[in-house]
Amino acid sequence: MTKPNNSVDFSLVLASSVHDMKNSIGMLVASLESFIEEFPPANDRQSKHFNTLHYEASRINAELVQLLTIYRMQNDHLPLRVDQHYVIDVLEDQLARNHSLLEGRNIHPRLECDDSLEWFFDADLIGSVVQNVIVNCSRYTRGQLLVKATVENDFLRVSVADDGGGYPPNMLESPSIFVNSAEVNEGNTHLGLYFAEEIARLHKQKNRIGYIRLENGAPLGGGCFNLFLP
Amino acid sequence: MSDIHYSKLRFLIADDFSNFRATVNAMLAKLGVYQVDMASNGADVLEKCQRKPYDVILCDYDLGPGKNGQQVLEELRFKGLISRRSLFVLVSADAAKDVVMAAYDCEPDDYLMKPINARMLEQRVSRLLRQRHVLSGVYTALDADDRRRAMSILIDLSITDNRHARVAQKMLGEIFIAEGELAKAEKLYTKVLEVRPVDWARLGLARVKHLKGELDVAGNWLEKIVQENPLYLPAYDVLASNWEQMGHNQQVQATVQRSVAISPKSILRQKRLAQVAERNGDFGTSLQALRSTVRLGELSCHACPEDGFQFARIAAASVEKRLHPPESLVREVVEVMSSTRERFTLSREQLTRAELLTARMLAHSGQTEQARSLMEVTEAQLRRGDEVSLDVNLERVQALQALGEHAQAEALLHNLLQRYAYDQSALEKLDTLLAEPVSETNRALIATVNREGIDLYNQARFDEAIECFEKVRRIFPRHVGVHLNIVQSLIGKLRAGHKDEQTIGTTERALATIGSLIESDHSQYARFQRLQDMATASMVR
Repeated sequence: MTKPNNSVDFSLVLASSVHDMKNSIGMLVASLESFIEEFPPANDRQSKHFNTLHYEASRINAELVQLLTIYRMQNDHLPLRVDQHYVIDVLEDQLARNHSLLEGRNIHPRLECDDSLEWFFDADLIGSVVQNVIVNCSRYTRGQLLVKATVENDFLRVSVADDGGGYPPNMLESPSIFVNSAEVNEGNTHLGLYFAEEIARLHKQKNRIGYIRLENGAPLGGGCFNLFLP
Repeated sequence: MSDIHYSKLRFLIADDFSNFRATVNAMLAKLGVYQVDMASNGADVLEKCQRKPYDVILCDYDLGPGKNGQQVLEELRFKGLISRRSLFVLVSADAAKDVVMAAYDCEPDDYLMKPINARMLEQRVSRLLRQRHVLSGVYTALDADDRRRAMSILIDLSITDNRHARVAQKMLGEIFIAEGELAKAEKLYTKVLEVRPVDWARLGLARVKHLKGELDVAGNWLEKIVQENPLYLPAYDVLASNWEQMGHNQQVQATVQRSVAISPKSILRQKRLAQVAERNGDFGTSLQALRSTVRLGELSCHACPEDGFQFARIAAASVEKRLHPPESLVREVVEVMSSTRERFTLSREQLTRAELLTARMLAHSGQTEQARSLMEVTEAQLRRGDEVSLDVNLERVQALQALGEHAQAEALLHNLLQRYAYDQSALEKLDTLLAEPVSETNRALIATVNREGIDLYNQARFDEAIECFEKVRRIFPRHVGVHLNIVQSLIGKLRAGHKDEQTIGTTERALATIGSLIESDHSQYARFQRLQDMATASMVR
């Protein structure tokens, strides 16, 4: 557990390489998207390959963004810029961000949100939470994806639902504790949920704090991720 | 989205990465945009914008060496190279705090995080263009300086247009305030706040209160806003002005300092901090803020030669007050002076000031030879030229003092006092170099403060008395009487039993300073000696 005195701060090195990797992956995804556009898949096999490439690259990208955000969160370099936003803008942005990923997998997302619904949050952070969940759903859904925003008990509720197999029961009980548990070693960190929960908790108003909740069943029969913001 | 005619729109893509420019260009081409220009660095953007107006500028924050996206936007606005119709979208891959805050601080029309794709770009741009379309009547009215008409369109929009009500209300509030229609602005913000406590409306209302002179109310509200949303920079700016108007200089500084901590890349805030800190006698903070100002100025349109001079002045003053050892600062001052000469075309007078400041600094660091020869050259020029301005002469006196040429310095001061005998503002400037002020304002100030301080002393409120005398000492560092008053208050404190190390140390330093200011023929020398003895006696525990 001891470290030599002259060592550089490893987390700093990690953060800066993650930053570079994120930019590279960003370029990779963009190039991939224009490539697919120019040379649409000729058969099912090719299309499958493209989808895998696209999904895995998007997943890496999302994970790197998470890593960086968590690093900044812990080092107090994460500016929380709560501002007034049209909820639909932020949700549309995330669907647009993943448009080609979803299209490739033949997923046709639906967005249900009042045009003039406004709320207070950090659009970049909440955007990246929603983005992660969408990428995740794209893997587990059978074809349907619903992104919905409503106001419940003076909280903004953003739900992302699919018609897949749903979340495993242990995750429903306590989504983020896995970060500290043995599951990390099995390669399943649920980092995304930890990230989502932390971001939600940063959003406070008076004595109310944001949170997340996982459900199975309604509205599409699969899993449903819910983000609540005061 | 079919209402937008992309083929008619002019776009500018700015990124130092050719790959990215090409990608974005391809995305735009698919939307039907074909009038696209590219820029690979900040200077390029400025040049292109000077040649023709763009509808949309997509500009990366990181533009390689030279100006970044934020500095480009600042300069475009400062030089009037973009109109309110041009949409400036800042693109960035970096979510680090200082970058995000810098971007947030310069208020682009939109902010896009990389990576971006075609659909996202289309969505963002079309939203902005639709908003521009909705507001175009307002822009036309404002361009024609027809504020009445702009207001009436905005009032309409804030009632009827659900989607754009917020932006209309924000603009309306600004115009009401600019027009001095405070009652209307107050009504607007209050109405918005009835629905939800949004920061911009809270700030708007606080500004109204501030402008109406209800400074206590405004101050409370502003403090509440920054407590709840510490990153809301515009609130600090108003809060600082509010303290300023209340005359609380320390609070002004504390407030500006808080905003600088959040957005350290803002040159204008750094300048303001340097100024208020100097006024408060906090030379350490002032020097640091000026150092940042000079560094940020390298790429900023808000830089000016005075930044460098100010830095040199405060650096020299800090050395004279023994706040900093001269060795480290002298090289910095010489560098700043030479970069100021390179960067700006200096007038004859400014060149002279640069030389005098350099000589003064060299003298302090013991490089007497160099200082002397620089001074000789400068003096020769001054004797040859036309009448020397007051600002140059003030630097001249201080350079002479630094060189130990006291007789020459005194003679010059005497000369200046005669020349400006009827110019009160000039006399106020000269006061800072004199042992006793000569201007009426400053004499009155000293008299008042002395009276206040002595009253406090007589009531044994020593700390307050010291604080009171300190106010004058900061302005007239050579005023022996004030120094002696401070020492006397310190002795009072010691005698009352506060024999802590800090008080003892302060007393010793104060006595040493006075020792360096007066000779045995000074009218207050006897008092000085008496206080010295009293101090020694009362320091015994």
